[in-house]
Amino acid sequence: MVNKCLYLTKNSLFKKIKSKWFIGINIFLLIVLCLVLNIDHVISTFGGDFASATPIYILDETNYSYEILKSNIENVSSLAEQGNFETKKYEKTKNDLVNEMKKNQKIIGVWIKEDINNVLDVTVITNDYMESYDYQMLVSSINQTKVSVATALSEIDQKELDKISSPIEIKREYLDKNKKSEDESMNMIMTTIFPFVILPIFMLTVFLIQMIGAEINDEKSTKGMEIIISNVSPKAHFYSKMLAGNIFVIIQGILLFIYGGIGLGIRNLFGSSSALTNTIIEMTNSVLGSGFVSKIITWIPLIIILVLITFVGYSLLAGILASITTSSEEFQQIQTPIMMVLLFGYYLAIMASTFHGSLFIRIMSYIPFISAIIAPSLLVLGEIGIIDVLIAIILQVLTNILFLKYGLPIYKEGILNYSTGNLFKRLLKIFKTKSD
Amino acid sequence: MLKVKNVTKYYGDFKAVDNLSFEVNKGEIFGLLGINGAGKTTTFRMIMGLLTPNSGEITLNGQKIDYNLTDKIGFLTEERSLLTKLTVLEQIIFYGRLKGMNEKDIVQKLDYYLDKFEIKEYKNKKIKELSKGNQQKIQFISALINEPELLILDEPFAGLDPFNVQLFCQEIEQMAKKGSMIIFSSHRMEHVEQFCKKLVVLKNGKPVLQGNLKDIKHSYLKKNIFVRGEIDIEKIKKIEGVISITKQGDEYQIKIANVDIYKTVFDEIKKYPITKIVLEEPSLNEIFLDKVGEAYGQ
Repeated sequence: MVNKCLYLTKNSLFKKIKSKWFIGINIFLLIVLCLVLNIDHVISTFGGDFASATPIYILDETNYSYEILKSNIENVSSLAEQGNFETKKYEKTKNDLVNEMKKNQKIIGVWIKEDINNVLDVTVITNDYMESYDYQMLVSSINQTKVSVATALSEIDQKELDKISSPIEIKREYLDKNKKSEDESMNMIMTTIFPFVILPIFMLTVFLIQMIGAEINDEKSTKGMEIIISNVSPKAHFYSKMLAGNIFVIIQGILLFIYGGIGLGIRNLFGSSSALTNTIIEMTNSVLGSGFVSKIITWIPLIIILVLITFVGYSLLAGILASITTSSEEFQQIQTPIMMVLLFGYYLAIMASTFHGSLFIRIMSYIPFISAIIAPSLLVLGEIGIIDVLIAIILQVLTNILFLKYGLPIYKEGILNYSTGNLFKRLLKIFKTKSD
Repeated sequence: MLKVKNVTKYYGDFKAVDNLSFEVNKGEIFGLLGINGAGKTTTFRMIMGLLTPNSGEITLNGQKIDYNLTDKIGFLTEERSLLTKLTVLEQIIFYGRLKGMNEKDIVQKLDYYLDKFEIKEYKNKKIKELSKGNQQKIQFISALINEPELLILDEPFAGLDPFNVQLFCQEIEQMAKKGSMIIFSSHRMEHVEQFCKKLVVLKNGKPVLQGNLKDIKHSYLKKNIFVRGEIDIEKIKKIEGVISITKQGDEYQIKIANVDIYKTVFDEIKKYPITKIVLEEPSLNEIFLDKVGEAYGQ
């Protein structure tokens, strides 16, 4: 029976991996991941308005603001790593500037005059509404210019000016001696990137449910199940589907990881030093440089265990539900609530960073099926500890055992039951029949 | 030998099979008959171990049927049970492997049967691309591929033309000659009469007729007289024991309550210019309809 179970597992797995659908989806995923990781190159390749610099003509009637504003615009846009501006000092009158702007609609005009009460009187002239980022950048640069001009007009000496303009070095002190500033900044980084880290878990769970459901449904709707179950016990059949499904998602997970690597490799080939590459390099260095790595090494096995047993839980659920359905349409209907639960978990994981200390989210991190998505986020955020993850693992294992105990008899009855009608009533009837 | 002993199966409160017993010996073709919902499929499923009887016992060669024995059983279901997205080769390898066979033997046997059923060219075609008749052939091959000791055939001729029915019949007889036990179910009584020496007729899960076909026919009191010629039907109808007279082509079929009536009917008929008079056993179809109808109170 073990040999037949392994044969069924191999058969299911190869049928899936060799299918045109799998190959197509993976080519698609590879392309999408490479595109996402190189999106700036892709966008630049196709060109557009962003490719050319936006001209900013500055009509400076104060005669001392132009250089400061030009420098501030460069600094602000460089810091934000966004926007491409070309500043030019406009020497003629405002009317000439307006006339010139009518010829070139892209020009942003900045007219600066002295103001006794507010230091500077600034008017921004455009043909059309400004883009939000351009406007924010300009406001920020003008405000900085005003501070600089005001400071200079106050006749403060250079030393004092340097002190004022230099950034403050903030020292951190933690009352809890175990806390470190590296961990704090690491937490901030992980809060940003974690929604992307748990996304594959979400995707793979969807793949898993779909695969098991579709296979069982196919065998059942074609009545091939009669022959299969007359040669292999329902238990062996169930295990083979679970095993094949889980191996499949692990392979798919590894492939996603490889595709990400290929995407970053392509990025390096371009020799890019854009914001994304720098962010990834900075984050990697931060992770490696902090004591976070040693923590992650302790967490990773636990998280992997939790994710894997949750996959097993979802396989059990998908198998049991698929066994009582009689068509793929019916399975699609029945899997919708599972997807909603999964989505609920995903949103809670994302919201965990906003609602620090939320008791509700913490409780949800123990709940089987969604704990694999929420618990890792809370662990990274320092909201829960290893003990909590262990509790989540134990609860998921217990759930799996319950599903096996009560689900297997339903599966055995369900796979050869072709009755139609209300699904819930059917489930109860099958359960009752088995109890009898 | 397959032995079904006092088997009863309930679905909730519904009794699907009621105290059924029969035996099938090596080389025997056994008929399991009944109208739709009589309990045939449940019986087949219990034999295959797909369902557990509430009481009674099913053994094959003295052993309780479990997954260690199912490799020796071939099963052709009433409805198509093929994975339609697979090719013929993939399908038969899949079912063959589940029977514990190795791939080389499966392919060898498949080639033999494809040749025999004249569908060699479909070996690498997807099942869904085949006609209903050819799909039935593939299903039949999948049941035979492991040369089963016990072969269960539930409506094997569904969707087949007379030529292919003949091919199937030859193969079934061949299997019986090799010593396979065959359980055969069909709504076509002429096929059952052709093959089965023993049978059981189920009604509401209960056997209403059981035993050797010859004995059943012989012990069945009602007989048929076939007459060709000009006779006075009204006079014959009045004879006590004559159940009905129907005209079939240029012949009359006179149903009589028992063989003793024959002499009275013959004495009357010989007064007329006739060219044929034959006393025959009733067909299985008539017995089936009569027995099942009786069980329904008709």
